[in-house]
Amino acid sequence: MTPDLIQGSTYAADIDNLILGIGILVGVWFLAAEGIFFWLIWKFRAKPDQKSEYLTGKEKHVKRWITIPHALVLVCDVFIVVGAVNVWFNVKQRLPEPDSEIRVIGQQWAWTFQHPGADNELDTADDIFTVDELHVEVDKVYHFRLESRDVLHSFSVPVWRIKQDAIPGRSITGWFEPTVAGEFDVQCTEICGIGHGVMAARVSVEDANTHAQWISTASSATTP
Amino acid sequence: MMQGGNRWMRALLPAAMVAFAACDATPPPAGMERGAELFETCVPCHGATGQGDADIAAPAIAGLPQWYVQEQLMGFQAGFRGKHADDLPGLRMRPMAVSLNRDGDIESVSEYVASLEATYPASTLHGNAGRGADSYVVCVTCHGEDGLGNPDLHAPPIVQMHDWYLLNQLRNFKSGARGAHPEDVWGGTMRVNTLVLDDQAMQDVIAYVQTLR
Repeated sequence: MTPDLIQGSTYAADIDNLILGIGILVGVWFLAAEGIFFWLIWKFRAKPDQKSEYLTGKEKHVKRWITIPHALVLVCDVFIVVGAVNVWFNVKQRLPEPDSEIRVIGQQWAWTFQHPGADNELDTADDIFTVDELHVEVDKVYHFRLESRDVLHSFSVPVWRIKQDAIPGRSITGWFEPTVAGEFDVQCTEICGIGHGVMAARVSVEDANTHAQWISTASSATTP
Repeated sequence: MMQGGNRWMRALLPAAMVAFAACDATPPPAGMERGAELFETCVPCHGATGQGDADIAAPAIAGLPQWYVQEQLMGFQAGFRGKHADDLPGLRMRPMAVSLNRDGDIESVSEYVASLEATYPASTLHGNAGRGADSYVVCVTCHGEDGLGNPDLHAPPIVQMHDWYLLNQLRNFKSGARGAHPEDVWGGTMRVNTLVLDDQAMQDVIAYVQTLR
């Protein structure tokens, strides 16, 4: 597995499998349609002394080339819709009980992260603010509150398969549970001005000890 | 058919060579030409003549000394500036500075900015210059009686800056949004001198600075 394909959250594999499933279903139909298309071109190619024939498409034996695939595609659609709704519900509509909470604020052209301090409560005096640097603990469920200070942004962590728009004036709640420790990219995936391309940050997913140590160090650094 | 193909090849080859030449990413050597090229990135916020834009809190930079622009750009890159959650204009500037990533980029664009004619933007605040003159006594050591700065003390000229920009920076220094990074030695020096100023005193001293033009 290449580093780009790390599935770093509990739902990353679900999203990947859904995309793979859609790709396979669509791919099979694409190959079948192209195969039949070229087979028909070859079968009914120009031949000596044979006139072309106009087909109305109303005859049953002709119409079934449309109706049978149509019905089969609808069956495939059912699989896709059921799979997609299932993943959507799990990622976007279900909110599992959090172990911790963070605030993510987008602005041209940086990400500000508000972490809870040692009390593990957001919006208290010991909160830790960082710019372009998010710290979380592995195997913990986080709720995030996503906000924007100016224009549309989109909070994206590819290894977690998260992508959520940030909208000025709104606080959008979501969740994630990182499962792989390491340092990964955070990016903005909504064109937000001339600096959009360099609006990048990093997330450190740490084990419990390292994370506690970071909270301790960062708290003492920000204490007035 | 083959001959036709060769004709096309002969016709397209020069066009392809021109296209490849146009794609050549080699930048001009460090200096004014490259500086002018890089400055195109600054224009949307700071304006074509470096006059700044108050609506987006982009200050006038035209005519600032090369050493100062260089130092600030390096500060943005290193995270001394523009990496505090409360410094919104700084957060906008920082990625722009980070994008100057080739050898000679910072020097070139700084040289170009220094070559622009200073604009001396009009006052927008209403401080009391008389009271500000008393506070300015502290500033004289580094910024000079004429407000033209002192490169040896890493103190920039302040007479040509927007007054709202100076106020924002004084507030940033006082709150620690600027000058609090342990490696920002000169910013730390400036910060100490802002701690005693309240908001009115800041506006007063800025009003006095504007009289030095």
